[in-house]
Amino acid sequence: MKNISNNNDSELVEKAKKGNEMAFNFLMNKYYARVYASLLSFTKSHQDSEDLTQQTFLKVWQQLKTFRGDSAFFTWVYRIAINLAKNYVSSSGYKKQKLNISVEDSEIEINSFKDIELELMHDQSLKNIKFFIDSMPESLRTAFTMREQEGLSYDEISKITETPIGTVRSRIFRARESILEYINTELITND
Amino acid sequence: MTDIKEKLSALYDGELESSQIDDLLEECRNNDELIRSFSLYGLISLSLNQESKISQISQSRRRPKRRGFADIWLSNAVTAAASIILTLFAVNNVDFSRMSINIDSTNQIASAVNSQEAKQTAENSSEYLVDHVMNVINDPSFMNSKSKVDLQNVGYRINQSSNPEYSNGVQKFKLRIENRDFGLNQIRYWKHGNKMIYVVPISNGRAVTLYGNISLPTAIQIANSINK
Repeated sequence: MKNISNNNDSELVEKAKKGNEMAFNFLMNKYYARVYASLLSFTKSHQDSEDLTQQTFLKVWQQLKTFRGDSAFFTWVYRIAINLAKNYVSSSGYKKQKLNISVEDSEIEINSFKDIELELMHDQSLKNIKFFIDSMPESLRTAFTMREQEGLSYDEISKITETPIGTVRSRIFRARESILEYINTELITND
Repeated sequence: MTDIKEKLSALYDGELESSQIDDLLEECRNNDELIRSFSLYGLISLSLNQESKISQISQSRRRPKRRGFADIWLSNAVTAAASIILTLFAVNNVDFSRMSINIDSTNQIASAVNSQEAKQTAENSSEYLVDHVMNVINDPSFMNSKSKVDLQNVGYRINQSSNPEYSNGVQKFKLRIENRDFGLNQIRYWKHGNKMIYVVPISNGRAVTLYGNISLPTAIQIANSINK
């Protein structure tokens, strides 16, 4: 039996706590879009959501040592984002917060959405991606959607599809590669 | 490179062997392309699972930046949180004077409102209400309440699915009852996309949340029906 954790987040968190910025970078890249989208539901402003998302991950970095792992990492991040969003409700509080914490002055590089990410946020891009996923070979599409939409583990997908777990992992990876290639060649260059 | 990328994909899914994480992090340290791929995995996932939010993102890009919060949640006056804050901090003698309310009474009210206990209570209520509304907006399963209410007397039937929704054929909404009233003594409502969120205090310190394309009078009618 291989030593595979249910979720590598906790391992990345432990490494980040010890100062491993790359581990934190991975956590931030993994959840940046989710936090951003959640905050956007709240602010309906791209700029404010971006600011708040950056503030969120800056706080996450600063407070990481206090994270005890009682909840999932994303739950904790989400809580921080919500608290910042509450300050946003009181605009004066939000402004004060902005003055007190400067992303530019922080000791770690915080993400920001680049053009490619923003391009993907277009409705039409989204539809194109979905259309592309629908057109992928059945074996790739099945493994990928089971993972992404149903949230099944590799082991569960392996059992359901009666496929070796290594093949499941490979199919999901190939599906992602195909989508990325499609994005890079069709969506970004032709838009 | 393919092997590294496959490990990256497995790491994103939380399925990478623990012993391989350090090596992968090291491999990625000076490889922006790998990190960018990892970031895009998140966006692809988001695009598959949160279409409605993405739509909002698209719409927001067409708006001028830095528009006011008033654009976001259209409450009956201001947002719930903001109104509680206003209750706490903006209520003063001058305000009451402008409304021709007795000054002696307002002194007592202002004193009570500004007490530490009142502030604490209201702050808690505000926190819970904001959390609550955020959950309604962000968590698709939050409104899938197991508690079902018979609303046929006001013309609404519930579908018998895992995603219960009340409908009269035209208007549709979801309903959830909380065993707390968030400190509300009147209905609060917000506009979210093409839907409305109503939080209505009802009997026994409870509150009913209605989320759908229904009007304010309908929401009040439904809440009254539940109260009976």
